[in-house]
Amino acid sequence: MKKVSCIFIVDDDPITVFGIKKMLKSVTKCDDVQIFQNGKEAYDALLERHKSNKTIPDVIFLDINMPIMDGWDFLDELITLDLKEHIIINMITSSIDPLDHQKWSNFKDRCPYILNFKNKPIFKIEATDLGLMDMAS
Amino acid sequence: MKAVRRVDQFYLLKQLPKATALLCKKGILIDASSSWLDIFGLPPQNNDHQIKVFPLYADIPDLKKKLKENKSFSLRHKISNHNGTGHFKSHFAPWFDEKENVIGTIIQTDNITAEVEKEQQVEWLQNILETKVEVSKTGWWEFETATQKLTWCQETKRIHQVPDCFEPTTVEAIEFYKPGYSRNKVSMLFHKAIENQQSYDTNLMIITFNGEERWVRVTGKPYVENGNTIKVFGTIRDIHDEVMAENKVKEHQQLLSTLVDSLPLNVYVKDLESRKVLINKGESNYINKSKEEIIGKNDFDLYNEDTAKISREEDIQVMKHLTPIIGKETAITHNGKTTHFLTSKIPYFDLDGKVCGLIGMSLDISSIKKKECELRDLIKITSMQNQKLIGFAHIVSHNLRSHSANFSMLLEFLKSENDPTERERITKMLSQASDNLLETLENLNQVVDVNTNTSVTKKPLFLKHNIVKVLQNFSAFLNKNDSQIINHVAEDIKVECVPAYLDSIILNLISNAVKYRSPNRKPLIIINAVKSKEGVLLSISDNGLGIDLEKYGDKIFGMYKTFHNKEDSKGFGLYLVKNQIEAMGGSITVQSDVDRGTTFNVYFNEES
Repeated sequence: MKKVSCIFIVDDDPITVFGIKKMLKSVTKCDDVQIFQNGKEAYDALLERHKSNKTIPDVIFLDINMPIMDGWDFLDELITLDLKEHIIINMITSSIDPLDHQKWSNFKDRCPYILNFKNKPIFKIEATDLGLMDMAS
Repeated sequence: MKAVRRVDQFYLLKQLPKATALLCKKGILIDASSSWLDIFGLPPQNNDHQIKVFPLYADIPDLKKKLKENKSFSLRHKISNHNGTGHFKSHFAPWFDEKENVIGTIIQTDNITAEVEKEQQVEWLQNILETKVEVSKTGWWEFETATQKLTWCQETKRIHQVPDCFEPTTVEAIEFYKPGYSRNKVSMLFHKAIENQQSYDTNLMIITFNGEERWVRVTGKPYVENGNTIKVFGTIRDIHDEVMAENKVKEHQQLLSTLVDSLPLNVYVKDLESRKVLINKGESNYINKSKEEIIGKNDFDLYNEDTAKISREEDIQVMKHLTPIIGKETAITHNGKTTHFLTSKIPYFDLDGKVCGLIGMSLDISSIKKKECELRDLIKITSMQNQKLIGFAHIVSHNLRSHSANFSMLLEFLKSENDPTERERITKMLSQASDNLLETLENLNQVVDVNTNTSVTKKPLFLKHNIVKVLQNFSAFLNKNDSQIINHVAEDIKVECVPAYLDSIILNLISNAVKYRSPNRKPLIIINAVKSKEGVLLSISDNGLGIDLEKYGDKIFGMYKTFHNKEDSKGFGLYLVKNQIEAMGGSITVQSDVDRGTTFNVYFNEES
């Protein structure tokens, strides 16, 4: 099983967090899975890791609607951080508001990282969502 | 006494004052008075040479023959000399001797030049008169009372379209007039002219000999002698074409004035000085003055100065540059009332094509304008409601979807999960998801209730009393948090409110104030209410955490928006409060400083 060094899950819904964690288990092995209730907490942790030269997460699961700092605001802040690392961001939302999709599309162009958009419900996390390519295939 | 000496008869003849001559039977001049010789330019006579008389009457070739008839006769003739041509009349009579034998002819000659000239003048005048009749188409007629004879001139006959030989009787003449008004009138006037010696001059209609109906102007004037009417003289003129043209003009004028007056527009014509020279009923009704009072006045006489100035500038633009103003929206305040007009002004040209003023038309669009405003308000409300609805729809879909997505996901896990502890965990989560869904549905229901139950009646409620009641109900919560509440609301302030909404508003705002207290301070909540013309303003201020409005300002009243990491924050309270206040026609605003406190201002609208 491929390994991912660090994964952030940013979501205020405990059930979704539970689901993501559970699904991750079947795709990868990761010792460093962090859960955050909102964008601010996740950003603060990221900043801290960046400053102290700790591992930057390879993959971030990001909810849109959250208190204090939502997914979009988190993305804005992340982009200004201008990290050199390779990050895959999977936006996970139950929103079917076309405006959210439009916003994602705009961010995708600006964002130096891979930005995926996934509508709930999700049943499986693909290896590609984690940047794990099967070299053999 | 000495007897008068007999004078020689020929010498006597010479002296006769009337030009007289004597001829012998052969027509040779025997002797003549000096005056006769003068007329014919002959020298005094002696017997030396005989003068024949015939050459003297060169223009009367048969004189010789006439003399032989030995009868008296007169004739006219002309004599030309260096003074010109004279007209003369000579009377010839046979000259008898004592025995009644004709021995010659006596001629007496009169100069009738003056008479002839007068005759010619009369003839000339007659000519002029006839020409005049012909040109003016005015005929004359004459009625002699003594003989009852009526005479028509040629022109009069032509007007009646009768042949020249037609000689009318009075009855016939009157019967030419159209039965009814014209015939009655002319009979009466003619009768009055004779009996009361009254002149007349009137327009009547005749039916000509050919059956044509034509308008004539007929006059009559009695000639009176010794109090008796001798004659009635009058004229008749065919004025049919004039009357018809005049009628046509009148008809056009009538059409035009009816049209202009009935237009649902204020119409006016102004001269170059912007004075009104013509207005319609609409304009005089609007200015609330009679046409006579308005004509000749300019806008400075009729309106206030500002309005008049604008109007005059428009006028000048139209008349100077000949550019019409079409459909310009204007607002004119007159007698304290503002009227909105759609005004058009176009240059007015005289028959020579020179601008001589302008024609203005104003359509009163005040009611349309008012409706437009109402419509705009309505659109604003509608679009606001629409916005709210879209927002609500998204909230509903998003929140319901998030729960259903969780169900799907958990159920999928359950299907493939064999570990009993894990299964139990998933089942627990499912029931949690179910609870969440129920709560969401309950919340949404509340919001729908607020927005649909427009029939929920408002009651006048004492604000202070309701606040106290709410505070009592959750005094335990307040005491637990060591909160101090200062209620400044005056006893007598009343608000028009749905009771349940008022309780919810007070409860939510106060519990928020406590919930988002600063960890560094004891909660202090100050409640105030001010009554003004617009309604009642309720302010609830706290000294809590505050909120960065620059960052979250537009989201604070949003559904499921929370800004603090609090377990019990659902992001629903303020959303519900806002909906409740707006449903009652009020509004809510917020002021906040981070870590200093927050103030919510609730405006209760008293009117609705």
